Amino acid sequence: MSNNKTSTPVALDPFQAWAHRWGRVGTLIALVYMISLPFIVLNYFHCVPSLGAVFNVATFGILSIYVPVGISEALSYTPLMGASSYLGFITGNIMNLKLPCAVNALKITGKEANTAEGDVVTSIAVAASSIMTVAILTVAALLISFISPIFEKPAVQTMSSYLLPALFGSMTLGLFASSSAGSKVVVGGIKGVIPVLILVSLVCIAARVAGLGGIILGMVGFLILAMLPVGIITSRILWKKGIIKVVDKAELNK
Amino acid sequence: MTTIKDIINSPLLLALVCGGLLYITAFSVVYLLKAKKRALEMGISNKEIGDIIKSSLIFSVVPSLSIVIGLVALATALGTVWAWWRLSVIGSLSFETQIASSLAPTLGFKTTAEMMNGATGEQFGVVMILMSVGMLAGFFVLLPFGKKLMTSVDKTKAGNGWSNVLSGCFMLVLLAVYVPVLLICDTYQALVMITGLIVALLLGVLAKKPGMAWLNNFIMAGSMIAGMVSALLWTSIF
Repeated sequence: MSNNKTSTPVALDPFQAWAHRWGRVGTLIALVYMISLPFIVLNYFHCVPSLGAVFNVATFGILSIYVPVGISEALSYTPLMGASSYLGFITGNIMNLKLPCAVNALKITGKEANTAEGDVVTSIAVAASSIMTVAILTVAALLISFISPIFEKPAVQTMSSYLLPALFGSMTLGLFASSSAGSKVVVGGIKGVIPVLILVSLVCIAARVAGLGGIILGMVGFLILAMLPVGIITSRILWKKGIIKVVDKAELNK
Repeated sequence: MTTIKDIINSPLLLALVCGGLLYITAFSVVYLLKAKKRALEMGISNKEIGDIIKSSLIFSVVPSLSIVIGLVALATALGTVWAWWRLSVIGSLSFETQIASSLAPTLGFKTTAEMMNGATGEQFGVVMILMSVGMLAGFFVLLPFGKKLMTSVDKTKAGNGWSNVLSGCFMLVLLAVYVPVLLICDTYQALVMITGLIVALLLGVLAKKPGMAWLNNFIMAGSMIAGMVSALLWTSIF
């Protein structure tokens, strides 16, 4: 059981090896295309802005939203989504679409995240979801003048604005289920994130009291980025002290 | 002089966006086929694979419709083609809409309508470039370190006590951040989340009844829709 500190290199499953090679290549091609696209269009119209016009004090606000969120998403979602990360990041909308789909797929198949089987299952789910989203958005873009009145209805907008809490309500059970599946079980893992829970709760209470509760959700990317080291370091310390343990499921059931 | 409207309505932009989306779709199909082939080799049945695909497609509908709402909103500020592109690749609904709302003042316009009527091609170029390069930050982590991040939490490693703990840690930190934010910062969000959780629990209990196992594929989608619909109730009561 538990605190065995020796580790051997991971022999990648053929699909994982394929994803790390061709998923990366495919992602790189997509990135080059995405960055080139505006320049091709702007060059055609002879209106490529100067470097100073793009990066200045006024536009810093926009970049300050994007950059930390991007880093935070990559650090926190990649270990969760495994080999499906490359596709998930290219098609975007990870928290509100791809990650829940991956969790759902793990739950209905009973597979474990961060295993070869889990990676295959989540990749199928993320790929199917990506195709579906592109299809829906394409139909919506084609019919936008017809559908706009429906999607501008207050009831539809209200429901849409509560997508994230509804998602978290629906997938919390799945998240816990996927973390306990497989042949090994982490006992007391939640103790490692108690400082995170306390710190974030204090920030939220202070924001709520100050009447700033609404802005905290927009800062979740920053919070995750700040709290990841806290959770990982605490878990590591507690694991070394034997407070968090990894045991075989069979042993636990004795 | 080129205006914002010349760019957002240009056939060139449309053609490039269509080309990009075709590539993304082809990339997804290849990923799907590769993963499916490996799943069959691993002994995962065709029925199970079909269930994953069916469940993912169904599950994707509601969040995708929320993204459509974002498309409608973004289209007024960025034009349909550019909004369609942004929400189909890399983009995140919440951040793209935040960006859209901050565009007009950043470019020196009071309202979006004023921007659409008065912005030059160069000004819109600033927006296009910022939106294209801004979200790249994540790729500077994913491409060089993605493999390392994934293998560090791989549970198939021998002598892997810490990797099991670390693997669960990412998910728990995500929960430990989101749950207090959703439960404490806003009463409606808390009620919607609790409703979704309760409906998921109830559906989970129901799915254990004889002949109801099929319900397992719809627990997340069903409870998510129930949570979203409950927002109408909570916002009208309180």
